[in-house]
Amino acid sequence: MAEEKLLDFAREITGRLGGETITNCYQCGTCASTCPVARTTERYNPRQILRLALLGQRDEILKGDAIWLCASCYNCQERCPQKVEIADVIYALRNIAIQEGNTPAIYTDFATALISEGRLAPISKFLEKKRAEYGLPAIKPTGLEALKKILAATGFDKIVFKKEGATK
Amino acid sequence: MEEAKVGVFLSDCGGQIPKILDFEALTNFVKSVPGVALVARGSEFWRGQGLQTIVDAVKTKKINRVVVAETVPKISEVAISKAVERAGLNSHLVEVVDIKDHCAWPHRDMPKEATEKAKAMILAAIEKAKLMEPIDKAEFPSVKSVLVIGGGVAGMQAAEDLAEMGFQVYLVEKEPFLGGLAAKAVRFFPTDDCAICIQSPASLTAVTQTSRKCVYRSGLSEIPNLNILTNAKVVKVEGGPGNFKVTVERRPRYVDEKKCVACDLCTSVCPVESPDEYNARLSKRKAIYINKPLVYPPVYVIDAKACKFHACAKCVEVCPTKAINLDKKPEHLTLNVGSIIVATGFREYDPSVIKEYHYGEYPDVVTHLELARMLDAFGPTGGVPVRPSDGKPAKRVVFVQCVGSRDRRWNPYCSSICCMISLKHATMIKEAFPDTDLTICYIDIRATGREHEYYYEKAREMGVKFVKGRPSEIIHDPATNTLIVEVEDELLRRLLELEADLVVLATAMVPSEDAKELAQILGIELDQDGFFKEYNAKLRPTETKRRGIFICGGSVFPKDVPTASLHAHSAAVKAAKFLMNGKIVKDLRVAVVNQDYCGNCQFCPVTCPYGAITLEPKGEGHFAAKVSELLCEGCGVCVGTCPVGAIELRHLKPSQISAQIRALLAVNGTSKPLVLAFSCSECGHAAVDSSGMAMMSYPANVRVLRVPCTGIIQVHHILEAFKAGAQGVMVVGCKPDGCHYEVGSQKAKQKVEMAKMLLQAYGIEPERLEMFNLVFVEGDKFAEAAKAMTERVEKLGPLQFA
Ligand code: SF4
Ligand code: SF4
Ligand code: SF4
Ligand code: SF4
Repeated sequence: MAEEKLLDFAREITGRLGGETITNCYQCGTCASTCPVARTTERYNPRQILRLALLGQRDEILKGDAIWLCASCYNCQERCPQKVEIADVIYALRNIAIQEGNTPAIYTDFATALISEGRLAPISKFLEKKRAEYGLPAIKPTGLEALKKILAATGFDKIVFKKEGATK
Repeated sequence: MEEAKVGVFLSDCGGQIPKILDFEALTNFVKSVPGVALVARGSEFWRGQGLQTIVDAVKTKKINRVVVAETVPKISEVAISKAVERAGLNSHLVEVVDIKDHCAWPHRDMPKEATEKAKAMILAAIEKAKLMEPIDKAEFPSVKSVLVIGGGVAGMQAAEDLAEMGFQVYLVEKEPFLGGLAAKAVRFFPTDDCAICIQSPASLTAVTQTSRKCVYRSGLSEIPNLNILTNAKVVKVEGGPGNFKVTVERRPRYVDEKKCVACDLCTSVCPVESPDEYNARLSKRKAIYINKPLVYPPVYVIDAKACKFHACAKCVEVCPTKAINLDKKPEHLTLNVGSIIVATGFREYDPSVIKEYHYGEYPDVVTHLELARMLDAFGPTGGVPVRPSDGKPAKRVVFVQCVGSRDRRWNPYCSSICCMISLKHATMIKEAFPDTDLTICYIDIRATGREHEYYYEKAREMGVKFVKGRPSEIIHDPATNTLIVEVEDELLRRLLELEADLVVLATAMVPSEDAKELAQILGIELDQDGFFKEYNAKLRPTETKRRGIFICGGSVFPKDVPTASLHAHSAAVKAAKFLMNGKIVKDLRVAVVNQDYCGNCQFCPVTCPYGAITLEPKGEGHFAAKVSELLCEGCGVCVGTCPVGAIELRHLKPSQISAQIRALLAVNGTSKPLVLAFSCSECGHAAVDSSGMAMMSYPANVRVLRVPCTGIIQVHHILEAFKAGAQGVMVVGCKPDGCHYEVGSQKAKQKVEMAKMLLQAYGIEPERLEMFNLVFVEGDKFAEAAKAMTERVEKLGPLQFA
């Protein structure tokens, strides 16, 4: 791995919102041993993600599925002795991945729902009936037009569908 | 002032300089300058025949100011000043300029321009010399007596050194017994000997010289001029270097040191029990107690917080020598000392703030000092590592490294000795109890000292397991009273759950609790981590900004015993050197305040890096600044700060700065625009030196005016330079955080910014002014900056005053 590449990727990450602290990492493993996801699957280990990132393994991270497994519980971030904002670094990595069209299908589904209906979860007849039973008020329609404007202004719609369903 | 008769001595460096500079023209020019009484040319003037020529000229009274154009300026300045003084002239009536490294060498490919620059340099030196006045020496009496604060390894070492050198020494320890943290550490690396012996009060007569390897057994208490004051604390310091008046408060021991025979009867009758601090609160002690088995002083003490005093007084009744007096009150002593050494050491960080490790909550999570007490045969568990929760021997021990150290949340630094402490403890346990299962969880093992790696090797040989990984949580299983340490073995990339009876936290080492208060009392600084800050971490590791106050040992940074000893010796030598003459002799190259002008703005007392300025009452609520001749280092930062010009330096008066500005810009001889570079005498000037020494070329239109520190520069100096013909001005100082006078370089930066604003207001391009922060090895950068600045002003064209 070329040194240039190594520095480039680290710089790319520190230049993004949430990614600023990645170079603090000294690979102590506290995050890995506290991470509930790492506990259940070998496919995900936050320390290893940071290591790969710092060593410039851009493709392995952005094209793989590991970064999408983080549960955003922030256990790691709370305990990291170097104040690496690990969960936020993972978000920064996800943002890069999405911008490059490596969006997992489920995220594309969510995004599609958001753009077309203004919500992540569709509202079914069943749901409406249940709410009525519990005496909850009917769900108001979302300000879909306003939302669409916002999503368009931020470029959200274009980013999401850049390369639809590129990864699993 | 007598009329100045300047002698100018031009060194041609064995004929090398005239190959570049036109010496004829130079000599004729110098001869024509008013006030010059003699011009001599030679091969060198700082030694041998050349130096004799100067001496003769002074002796025959032909001249009373000496200007030398030399080629080895730093050494030559000293040599010439001394020779001149022996010849009967004040040593400060000398000015030396370096026509080799500052002129001939860097401008060797522009000989004509170089000759003109040399003329300007020598002219400036002559004009400065004409305005020189003699500067006297002053003597300040000092007492041959030293206060050492802190009776741990470092403090005892320094106190012993100084006492044996013949100084009167007061060793003040806040605890009732000497020994500090080290005394609790059972054994030391790298010698593996015990901590107990370092507390021994054995007298000189009782031990052979070979025991002197151990500082405590060298008979500390038997050194006649060493006064050991335990249970005591410094509460006030007045006076100054050479003559401090120190108030020490001594808490009562309630037991007469001269009467107690250490029979232990008192302890046996005392009904009060409280946690034993010495044993890390793992056992109990009576209200009247002694740290066992060997301590200094070998005298019992009453813990005033626990004792019921007259409601009980059982010990008083039983004491066979009537040594106990419960009515003793604290005493205040006043000590007169010439210098002070701080050796207050460090302490263990309380790791209970690191919630995930549950220290203070789970009794079987302990610190390494608590383990050390268990490993002491005289300690609370008789040398056996146990689970404090039930007293059962610990069969499985997990060490956790870097607890609160290298942790940006608590203490970002590496405490430097904890890896070694854990390795020492692990090997000790394996030696005594080979069946114990030991695991050390580490981020990096740091065993960098002499023989330290050996401990790491030994631990592996003995079967200590090493897991690379920092635990994220310690869990307690109440069913089995077992601790579970969650850690990722990074090398296996596997999550481990290590079961343990005892978890030992290698907790950080932090400054002693009273460091802040003491720093305030002494007027010295702490670093960002709260340790005492040295004057210069590289070459003056035991000095502080306050003359006569020194620091050593763990009070500066956590240290092992050998390093603390070395540091203490260094502080002792510094303190001795400072006081050995019984007086402090000083050239009065200091600042003076014209009190009639002083507007009492109070800027200078705050700005002086050495606390040398105080405000003196002048009646009716008026105050005026006054400079302490003893404390002033002569940097001139105050001069640059005073808004009304009430302060000047004896060795560089305002008139001398102006005269040099004008002279340096009076001769050009090139088509290039003149640039004046103010440089400090330290890093800035060194960078100019080194660019010349390395024969780096830059244009001869750049002229250098040396000041002690760039902090002296005021906005009007910069404007004066432009007025006198400079098209550009450079300010060359130390790095902002490496200024030899602490704040000077930063102050200069502020002045430069202010001047830029003013220039703009006058319609002058602010780019004509720039500050550079350089060090000796950056001569290339100076040459580059000089070139770039010249090009910049060339491009801007001639300066137009609006
Ligand atoms: S806890 Fe922090 S320093 Fe340690 S490996 Fe994880 S991110 Fe790096
Ligand atoms: S935030 Fe993500 S990486 Fe961190 S512990 Fe939770 S799941 Fe693991
Ligand atoms: S009884 Fe008296 S002499 Fe004995 S140890 Fe106690 S104080 Fe000292
Ligand atoms: S010259 Fe420097 S040391 Fe002396 S009083 Fe002024 S600021 Fe302080």
